[in-house]
Amino acid sequence: MGEVILTMKGIDKSFPGVHALDHVDLEIRKGEVLALMGENGAGKSTLMKVLTGIYKKDEGTITYEGKEVEFENPSAAQDAGVVIVHQELNMLSHLTVAQNIFIGREIMKGKLIDDEKMNEEAKKLFDKLNIEIDPKEIMGNLTVGKQQMCEIAKAISHDAKVIIFDEPSAALTEAEIEELFKIIRDLRDKQIGMVYISHRMDEIKAITDRVTVMRDGTYVGTLITKDSTKDDIINMMVGRVIYEDPKTESAVPKDAPVVLKVENLNAGKMVRNVSFELRKGEILGFSGLMGAGRTETMRALFGADEKDSGDVYINGKKVDIKCPQDAVKEGIGYLSEDRKRYGIVVAKSVAENTSMATMENFMNGLFINKKKEEEVSWQHVKALKTKTPTVETEVVNLSGGNQQKVVIAKWLTRDCDILIFDEPTRGIDVGAKSEIYTLMNELVAQGKSIIMVSSEMTEVLRMSDRVIVMCEGRKTGELDISEATQESIMHLATQRD
Amino acid sequence: MEKFKQNPIVKKIGFNRLILIGVLILMYLAFGLFCSLMGRATFFNISRLYSAFNYTYFLGFLALGVTFVIGTGGIDFSMGPVMFCSALISGYMLTKMNIPVVLAILVSALVGTLFGLFNGYLVAYWKMPSFITSMASMMLAKGIGSVFTKTQSVSWPSSMEANGWYRNLVKIPLGGGLYIPTGLVILAIAAVICATVLNNTKAGRYILCLGSNKEAVRLSGVDVKVWETLAYVICGMMAGIAAIFYVGAYTTVQPGLGDQFNNEAIASCVMGGTSMAGGVASIGGTFIGVLIISVLQEGILAMGFQKDYQYVITGIIVLVAVYADIRSRKRRN
Repeated sequence: MGEVILTMKGIDKSFPGVHALDHVDLEIRKGEVLALMGENGAGKSTLMKVLTGIYKKDEGTITYEGKEVEFENPSAAQDAGVVIVHQELNMLSHLTVAQNIFIGREIMKGKLIDDEKMNEEAKKLFDKLNIEIDPKEIMGNLTVGKQQMCEIAKAISHDAKVIIFDEPSAALTEAEIEELFKIIRDLRDKQIGMVYISHRMDEIKAITDRVTVMRDGTYVGTLITKDSTKDDIINMMVGRVIYEDPKTESAVPKDAPVVLKVENLNAGKMVRNVSFELRKGEILGFSGLMGAGRTETMRALFGADEKDSGDVYINGKKVDIKCPQDAVKEGIGYLSEDRKRYGIVVAKSVAENTSMATMENFMNGLFINKKKEEEVSWQHVKALKTKTPTVETEVVNLSGGNQQKVVIAKWLTRDCDILIFDEPTRGIDVGAKSEIYTLMNELVAQGKSIIMVSSEMTEVLRMSDRVIVMCEGRKTGELDISEATQESIMHLATQRD
Repeated sequence: MEKFKQNPIVKKIGFNRLILIGVLILMYLAFGLFCSLMGRATFFNISRLYSAFNYTYFLGFLALGVTFVIGTGGIDFSMGPVMFCSALISGYMLTKMNIPVVLAILVSALVGTLFGLFNGYLVAYWKMPSFITSMASMMLAKGIGSVFTKTQSVSWPSSMEANGWYRNLVKIPLGGGLYIPTGLVILAIAAVICATVLNNTKAGRYILCLGSNKEAVRLSGVDVKVWETLAYVICGMMAGIAAIFYVGAYTTVQPGLGDQFNNEAIASCVMGGTSMAGGVASIGGTFIGVLIISVLQEGILAMGFQKDYQYVITGIIVLVAVYADIRSRKRRN
């Protein structure tokens, strides 16, 4: 076992309304790969951002090579030898590989950039790592896997002693992952300490030495990888106490009619052969880890993105949804996970947003009946308990929860029978959260049907009548709420091909 | 100050627009002062005002039109040349092919509308940047107008000629150098219609909303492409109408010109509080902006300077207006 190179102790970090990290500990050793695991929102990324100086910590200490440090920004961390390889690659695709590697610290010959020398240096670097890439190649021509290698090479060229991989394998093929692992093993032999963030259990088993698990912003524990099973790790990840009562049985009668049926939906890489049914009065939960393709499935279903193939039936009738207009006509409403971008027009008033999808109901000949628009908006403001001084108030001035209520009002005005709630309570405080839950329950009681995409396990278990789990664009399972547990869902959510 | 801003009348007109009106009046007085200081003929002369108004009419229509396009977050750099192209084609048909005046006016509006449709279609359906699209159609308009008239300039009939009655749309002579400014009345009516369309119809609502957040509007099940195209169509049609008021005031159009009016129309808009980022537009503001540009150009001429001085000042005004817009949005976020 290698000696400790970096220790984080008692790291605490709060954002307005969220305690993101609650006294978290982490220990990185030389020549070792440490897996950092946890559900979405467990605090893994935040912790790494604190480490590399993107966020300032509120409390705690970071000791690196025996000295207490606090990196001002990522480039200070880089200079000290702590680098992060991001999931989204930060590459300039029109430059060459060598130019990318030396970006910001170009090798100069007098006043001019010395491309030749940079190519040579890049070549040396690749040789050292046993990577076969031509430094003169244009970055955009490389596969994602090769680009990732370049990113790693760039990290090494900073004389890194600690490298953090943030879900490096998400976009890679099997063969590319093998190649990545070869490099990681190589770096391990060179006594570099590494953190490997991933949701993929088999990769964790294959490449890491220890596993540190986080949950809800706290440190849960650390296991030796080779001595522990997948179940051990999953139990640590989900073993939280659920305060709210989870639903124990479905409220939907067995013979409730199917209102929506999706068959073999395909859209790009993220939606592969997804089939499911939604019954009247049901809340159908969609669970899965980040990047499982749930939002993509919903967007394809709603016509927001193009779909490659697949059939959709509403009340038994086949429908052809090509664009959101078609979906809205068929009585589907979509509440996006990203309210500000896709849900509301922030610079417009509550009333204008409320009537957005139902303008024709507010027309008086050629003109908008603003009085009616205001009245209807007020009705919804009262019914949903939206906190807004007037319906003329611009939505930008409302809190997240109240903005969400405005989006809900928009679809209620439309009287949609099928509502897709994509992360309905993301970024919403606890009080507003339970109001939205109550509202969803009221809606299904009225005979509407809801699809709820959620990354919060507690939310899924509390609200759903049935749970569909996705992983990497595929549906990996379907559970009745009576058989759904955190463990069973997490098993399905990590079930790769 | 805050109390003044909260005054219901001030709120109704809008604080920024009041400032703009103040600027307009001050500018008018300042030009008067400068002219007398420089020993030139007085600026406070009714004929100066008529001359300024001549500029107001066609620029007004251009600016009203482009307000819709800027409201969607786009831009149109083709209005000026499109206006000239419309005037050239319809004028050529009127003088060389002897079509009736009424038809010529319709042709002018139609040519403008077609250009608008072209721009709008490319921007909304083919997702081409409006900047480039309108730049291309600016060149197309210049070229087509020139080809159509065989590179000749076209003079519309003067008020003496039989077909000269259309000039009454601009102003009706009362004798003794006095006129009824009908153009101003028509422009004011057009402004009221535009404001109604923008604020009280579905078209205006969607145009402004999609300028603010197109994706959210699309995901509400709205056919955003149609409404976005419509904004450009309105803009093109207004350029076609502006052409009539241009020839009504200045008679002759030459091929290959017109770009400068784009900038002045856009400047009027931005000055009036229409945000270049889209989503926010004010017809009233645009109207005052047009008056400011008109007085500015007349004042510069009255002082005996060339048009280049006007460009310098317009340039500075645009910079100040855009900066103010960006600042106010930053504060709000």
